[in-house]
Amino acid sequence: MSRTPPWLVALRIVCALALVALAIVPAIWLAMIAVQPADADLRSVGGGFTLNNFRGAWAEGGLASATLNSVLVTFSRAGLNVLLAALAAYPLARMSFRGRDICFVLILATTMIPEQVIVVPLFRIVAGMGMFDTLAALVVPFGVSAFGIFLCRQAFLQVPWELEEAARIDGAGPLRTWWNVMIPLSAPTLATLALFSIIAAWSDLLWPLVVLNSPEKYTLPLAINELLGQFATNPRYAYAGSVLALVPIVVFFLAMERWLKPSLFAGAVKG
Amino acid sequence: MSAPVGSTAGGLAQATSPVRRRFSLRPGSLTPYLFMLPALVVLGVFFVGAFLQVVYYSFTTYTAFSPPEFVGLDNYKRVLADDRFWWCLLNSFIYLLVTPALILLSLAAALIVRSSIRTGRWLRLLFFLPVVTPTIVAAVAWRLLFEDQGLINSIIALAGLDPIGWLTQRPWTLITAMTVTLWKGFGFYMMIFIAGLLAVPKELEEACALDGAGPVRSFFAVVLPTIWPVVVLVGIISSISALKVFDELFITIKGTPIEHQTVVPLVYEVAFVQGTGDFGLACAMGLVLFVIILVFSVINLRLTGAVKGGRP
Repeated sequence: MSRTPPWLVALRIVCALALVALAIVPAIWLAMIAVQPADADLRSVGGGFTLNNFRGAWAEGGLASATLNSVLVTFSRAGLNVLLAALAAYPLARMSFRGRDICFVLILATTMIPEQVIVVPLFRIVAGMGMFDTLAALVVPFGVSAFGIFLCRQAFLQVPWELEEAARIDGAGPLRTWWNVMIPLSAPTLATLALFSIIAAWSDLLWPLVVLNSPEKYTLPLAINELLGQFATNPRYAYAGSVLALVPIVVFFLAMERWLKPSLFAGAVKG
Repeated sequence: MSAPVGSTAGGLAQATSPVRRRFSLRPGSLTPYLFMLPALVVLGVFFVGAFLQVVYYSFTTYTAFSPPEFVGLDNYKRVLADDRFWWCLLNSFIYLLVTPALILLSLAAALIVRSSIRTGRWLRLLFFLPVVTPTIVAAVAWRLLFEDQGLINSIIALAGLDPIGWLTQRPWTLITAMTVTLWKGFGFYMMIFIAGLLAVPKELEEACALDGAGPVRSFFAVVLPTIWPVVVLVGIISSISALKVFDELFITIKGTPIEHQTVVPLVYEVAFVQGTGDFGLACAMGLVLFVIILVFSVINLRLTGAVKGGRP
């Protein structure tokens, strides 16, 4: 505690620098390549500066509509996730009723099913509901996750009983108690869940690939995938497109960062 | 954040039960089920429903061109006889090597963040950036670095070694994909370790220092035993997600033979890429993987006791 030996200080600094480099070099390298003119060498950076790749990616990759679609899908999916998870978690945390434990176990069991394994029938179910090639197909099936329910339940378990009782005495029913007591007191957890949902939805690749068909419905990852494809005119457009997909989520994360408490991660996994 | 406990008795208030230490409901009340209904419908229709269909299809001949017809265990026999499956399963198990690497890296990151309050917050922020990066962007960025003439091979060339075919040659392709997984994951597990480290009793560490133990000694005598359950936990969670890996492989080592990849990409290949769309076989492969994941998950639930506890 008191005195840290110099070798340990040095080791910490070296490790910290190495990890920082690991964390940010790939993205920075990508950005530096993305601003290079078409004739520059891919091996080195700094061979000029141009925004042409961004213009090209924006025009050819249909990034305007892809960005709009991604934003729409991401926010509706995150909103739905928080709402449904918080609703479902309330009785699981605070009420006793027949079948509660079995419900909870079954909900947790869905986490063991890899999405990629069920993708064939999931596609049939979604298509059968008339959602093939719609943005709704990206939102509805992933409108709630067992992880989210679990996270909310953990938060609700921490809310003091007295507050709930007080609300009851004042005559609030379950829905009102949920809205006026549980939700405000669990705000950090709900924000964390929203952040996780946003990260997942923004990054989602396989499912949109399967369920979307028309390019004007594409989300950003699909648009980048197209720019990477063999018919793409300029590989640098894909790099520029990747930078454009990265910036909004990083900015959003930096804005949300103060909500992110490590203890919530512990709750998320410890149970 | 104060709780705006409503002093207004809303129209929703229908049950004014006696004050007890729990929400007492009339027996048979539908309230809890109504709260859970939307979530259960979504999970039930899209996950459980789809999963049951996977189980059914795995016993049928079902392809893009023919409707399902029951054939018993045929698909499972074909899975066991399929060389691709064994290669991919082997690769899936090799992929589990990301777990120890992740534990080391994320624990190191957590210890560094913990060692300084001032810079720790900034480091935490930086280490978390890969977690928010969309997988396709991560894959594109790492492809650039791992390209035949990319940064990494240039550094290797400086050391006087031959360039490595990171994106094309086995076993390097798997290592390349594992690097992306590692990169995207360590910031997340670091958060769990930071939380775990909060539980390390300061007094014990101080007592250790008073007794003349160095930092290494006190790490192994006090810190590590306290956070050992967290280490086990991170190990299990990251193993499960390593078995489920898809995105990193799909983009990063695009175009390599399927035998160089893992089980989930093989399922995708059999179902969607190869011309016949052999859904029956794909479902059987998926289920075999599911059983393996189930074993890991059961261990997870046992160790963490997520199901017990928290009884109101």
